[in-house]
Amino acid sequence: MADTGTVDGATLEVVRATLLSVAEEMRTTLMRTAFSPVIYEVRDFGISIYDRNLDLIAEAPGLTRFLGANDYAVRKVVDFVGVDRLAPGDVVLSNYPYWNAAHTYDATLIAPVFSDAGGAPVAYLTIRAHWLDLGAKDPGYVLDSTDMHQEGLVFPGTKLVKSGRLDQELVDIIRFNSRMPDAVMGDVNAQLAALATGQRRMQAVLGRFGPDRLRRATDALLAYGERITARGLADLPQGEWSAVDWLDDDGIGDAPIRMAVTVRHSDGRFEIDFDGSALAAKGPVNLPFGSTMATAKVAFKALTSPFEPTNGGQMRALTVKAAPGTLFHAVYPAPTFTQWTGIVALELIFKALAQAMPERIQACSGGDVPGFMMIGTHPDSGRAYAISNNESVGWGATARHDGRLAGSHLAQSVVRNTPVEVLESKTAMRMERLELRPGSFGGGRFRGGPGLRRDIIFTADGEFLTVAKKTKARPWGLSGGGEPEPTAIVLFPDTDRERRVGTARTAVRAGDRVSVLTAGGAGYGDSADRKAHSEQEDVLDGLIG
Amino acid sequence: MAADQDLRMAVDIGGTFVDAVELDMMTGAFRLAKAPTTPGEPWRGVTDAIAKLATDLARLEVFIHGTTLGLNAVLERRGAVTGIIINDGFRDIFMIGRGNVPDDHMYDFQYEPPEPLVKRRRIAGVGCRLDYKGRELVPLDETGVRAAARHLVEEQGVEAIAICFLFSFRDPAHEQRAAEIIRAQYPEVKVSISSDIAREHREYERTSTTVLDAYIRPIFERYIDRLSGALDDGGFAGRFLVMRSGGGAMTTAAAKASPTQTVLSGPAGGIIGAAFMADLLDRRDLISFDVGGTSLDVCLIENAQPVTAHEAELEHYPLLIPTYDIRTIGAGGGSIAWTDEGLLKVGPQSAGAEPGPICYGRGGDRPTVTDAALILGYVDPDRFLEGQMTLDVAAARSGIERWIGAELGMDVEAAAAGIYDVLLARTVGAVRQVTVERGRDPATFSLLAFGGAGPLLAPLVARDMGIREVIVPIVPSGFSAWGMLGADIVNDYARTDLRLLDEVSADDLESLFAAMEADASASLADQGIGADNAATERQLELRYMGQEHALTVAVGGAIDRAALRRAFEELHEARYGHAMEAPVQILNVRVRGLGIGRSPTVAIREPAGGGPERALLNERPAYCFARRTMTPFAVYDRARLAPDDRIDGPAMVDEGTSVTVIQSDQRLEVNRYGHLLVTSTEGA
Repeated sequence: MADTGTVDGATLEVVRATLLSVAEEMRTTLMRTAFSPVIYEVRDFGISIYDRNLDLIAEAPGLTRFLGANDYAVRKVVDFVGVDRLAPGDVVLSNYPYWNAAHTYDATLIAPVFSDAGGAPVAYLTIRAHWLDLGAKDPGYVLDSTDMHQEGLVFPGTKLVKSGRLDQELVDIIRFNSRMPDAVMGDVNAQLAALATGQRRMQAVLGRFGPDRLRRATDALLAYGERITARGLADLPQGEWSAVDWLDDDGIGDAPIRMAVTVRHSDGRFEIDFDGSALAAKGPVNLPFGSTMATAKVAFKALTSPFEPTNGGQMRALTVKAAPGTLFHAVYPAPTFTQWTGIVALELIFKALAQAMPERIQACSGGDVPGFMMIGTHPDSGRAYAISNNESVGWGATARHDGRLAGSHLAQSVVRNTPVEVLESKTAMRMERLELRPGSFGGGRFRGGPGLRRDIIFTADGEFLTVAKKTKARPWGLSGGGEPEPTAIVLFPDTDRERRVGTARTAVRAGDRVSVLTAGGAGYGDSADRKAHSEQEDVLDGLIG
Repeated sequence: MAADQDLRMAVDIGGTFVDAVELDMMTGAFRLAKAPTTPGEPWRGVTDAIAKLATDLARLEVFIHGTTLGLNAVLERRGAVTGIIINDGFRDIFMIGRGNVPDDHMYDFQYEPPEPLVKRRRIAGVGCRLDYKGRELVPLDETGVRAAARHLVEEQGVEAIAICFLFSFRDPAHEQRAAEIIRAQYPEVKVSISSDIAREHREYERTSTTVLDAYIRPIFERYIDRLSGALDDGGFAGRFLVMRSGGGAMTTAAAKASPTQTVLSGPAGGIIGAAFMADLLDRRDLISFDVGGTSLDVCLIENAQPVTAHEAELEHYPLLIPTYDIRTIGAGGGSIAWTDEGLLKVGPQSAGAEPGPICYGRGGDRPTVTDAALILGYVDPDRFLEGQMTLDVAAARSGIERWIGAELGMDVEAAAAGIYDVLLARTVGAVRQVTVERGRDPATFSLLAFGGAGPLLAPLVARDMGIREVIVPIVPSGFSAWGMLGADIVNDYARTDLRLLDEVSADDLESLFAAMEADASASLADQGIGADNAATERQLELRYMGQEHALTVAVGGAIDRAALRRAFEELHEARYGHAMEAPVQILNVRVRGLGIGRSPTVAIREPAGGGPERALLNERPAYCFARRTMTPFAVYDRARLAPDDRIDGPAMVDEGTSVTVIQSDQRLEVNRYGHLLVTSTEGA
């Protein structure tokens, strides 16, 4: 069918909705078949569909930073393998951090989609998910690596499936390099099943619309995305704004690490430039450039089209800059395992923007994702476990309302915490308290949301890992809003061993205790302007003294 | 059943209408009456609809009621002033929840959650603690319970209290004792305890379920008492049942004790009806497709059983109750069509009943799906709602031209057809989703279409998805109420176990099941179910150690652990495509108590002979999606169609409250019950 006309607005919407449903079905398949709770419970994955030019045409809800990372990875990996070497039924695996735009345990699978007519791929499907273990130097999580080779087995862009056949030798290599081979292969199979679902559905889409019409429709949808962003940008002031914040440390030394950003908006172009930030750190807090881009995209998206499903056209107005060899542009062999840098940097971008448009920006949240994990052997079953929790922080206040109370950080807003009853059943931790912390937020015309306090007592020996990268610098307020104390993790409180940690791996004994005190959000505006009624409500609810 | 109690009645409250149906148990004849919904005094719309039927209430064997009262109380925040009592130190489990924002707010960093059902000042901690095995670490502080209750009731004025303690699913003694103390101290306060409602793990989900129960209880009790009184005044002496969200019905006593079980029962009648049809017509795999004015509900019937879930959500609050696994999309006749930067969009805004679509002439000025249906010729402007309302075709046409056609450079028919294309794409996505979640191919199902707009939309969905058959039941707009007539009494019991299957002896499991069955049987007896009509069913929710998702395996006869493991593995293989070596863990032990009612008779009709021409009303142009152009459609009167009639598309069957549209590549056949079966002519 030599159909060269434009595609009408109804058909465009039909194509858009159909592609979203393909991504959604891939997501359903992944969550249905995944083995590890990190995927189906915590939702630590990202699913995206690209057109022939590797522009994003649909994504399914998942970790926001993962989704943007896919955009970068698919280009680098396809470039490495070579388009002309891709065949129907291939699936390419990559976890090389500098191309894959994430740490080594977030592995991306990429599958080209071909039409019956042959030729080059007409689309690409990608699924990124957290793999539980790929043989890094320590079990669970790596907190202090000094180069990539301590962070596990690496695949640059390697065909795991060749023309429909799973490469058994590669599977053996993965299995023999993992401490948890069954769980990892269970999740790999889930990723493959989701790609197979996507392939079947994409073939149906191609059959229905034809490759030519589909191509013209997706081109038009990308142009639509561009117009959506242009409309969002037109409302924003133009200019140039900078901000600085500090990351606690690099996991090895104690020195805070400088993070700087300059945001420029003029004539429909938007630039996020990390010039002025520290050079690459010795420890694993460095961000591959793709990961930096993903962080910038999340901020840009929230600013211009938060309620629209993402497509690549929406990102065309955005440029991201960071010099190779710096914190925000890691190059081989810089370690990149604990990328909390991206979480803190997301709010750094907002900090710069807040100078120009405080009414559109929220004050800083508790600042990052204070995570903890316990590793040990379960006293009942004798089995090894490694169970983690992403702790909640208060969100920052806005020009219109108080910040949201303790919840998952902005950078992973759909992630869920791990229930007390699950933590206590699966590990040797028992909670003695889990409550909001009165006074843990910044005051203001609108106050931040409160952070929380969790007191843990260990009922058996094991290892306790924590990762927190914003326990030194306070969350920043907006328009005169208050700034709370930062997050604190206190080991062995009220003993002579008491100490505060951010990122640490600690041996714990039965009877030891830990307190996690997460920061609330910062405030917005002068607290003298706070309504008396709101103040009374907070007193009644026991949130202030 | 007394000899003169030969009728059943069901009443279903919808967003705009209350449907009341009466069924004659001997002949299978049934009648439908509608009355407007009365949101301020919901019982009044119910009594209005009953009055329209003019039934002698003394002849009713059963009165079955489906109500969204609990749901509406939550949506409108009209429930009781509620307090929570929880372990000391864990005051904010309910406030913090699972920490996530809704998926559609993923990039909304200024998210403001809705007002919580319980304010923090009304949450109190008391001393007591169990460990993960249910062993007591801290005894219940009874003085603390009294002090907490005094604070909540006397200072905070709560009318209902939810009690939820950590690991109470292991041992409910602390919750039970705390409730006993409070009930003695404040008899007028309603107390809900988590171990009565959801004896399952995960403290936030359990607390949320208990809070919802407490929150809706007072309003629900008042409503049921009021309605019972009205029925009794009319001479009603039969059994009053209330629909449950996850199958069957419950007596009013059981419903008042656990109103949470009713909150998502709105679409349940249609699904029970769909399961009944699956049996009757021997279409074991059906998709129930219910399209009303504002939303579209899809549910899968597999092997003549509705697919159920053990967890649901209401306003983002999790509910650990058994429910039908229903996917709802906010799209219906009132959904507004609009354009955005060159794309045609439908919904989520709805014109509702007021001001309504443009064609209603009540001030609505934005084109809706109903306006598109009128332009496409599917709605007869003079016969709408049996002629009670005249539609303004010219206004609908100019609205679609102005808002859609001119914006997108499409003529008015193409624009109206485009509105349907977009609606269809979303609908097909939802239908696909429910089948994909079960690992099933939608093409192997039949589509059962009901609700006012179901018979119009379903044949289009079937064409798009390669579904071979659409079934349109008798009076599709009253099908949901009809379905309720077949509801059995159902009570569910569950306990979280978390032991490995290999570690539990068959005797242990047997005695656990037996104890739960004793509870179920006692409850059925309390509800007046004789032993002849009472039954229990056993199920185990199993999973591989380390997994979160579990699969439900039916347990019959003697406990055989090896057979249970095999059954689980077969199910896992079928659903997820693989089985594993890992140990199998018991998540929940479930027992269902059943009070089995009589199945309603379905009348078999006689062929009328002479072909469908007897029912031909007229011919009018309508849009054919197979030819993508306006085409003459023959229009038939459903009341005059009879079994064995066959009609080739393009055609329409009008029955006043809904229209079945058969495209030119489809045909229709009337079966012996009078149901319409729409199939494809291609490949047939």
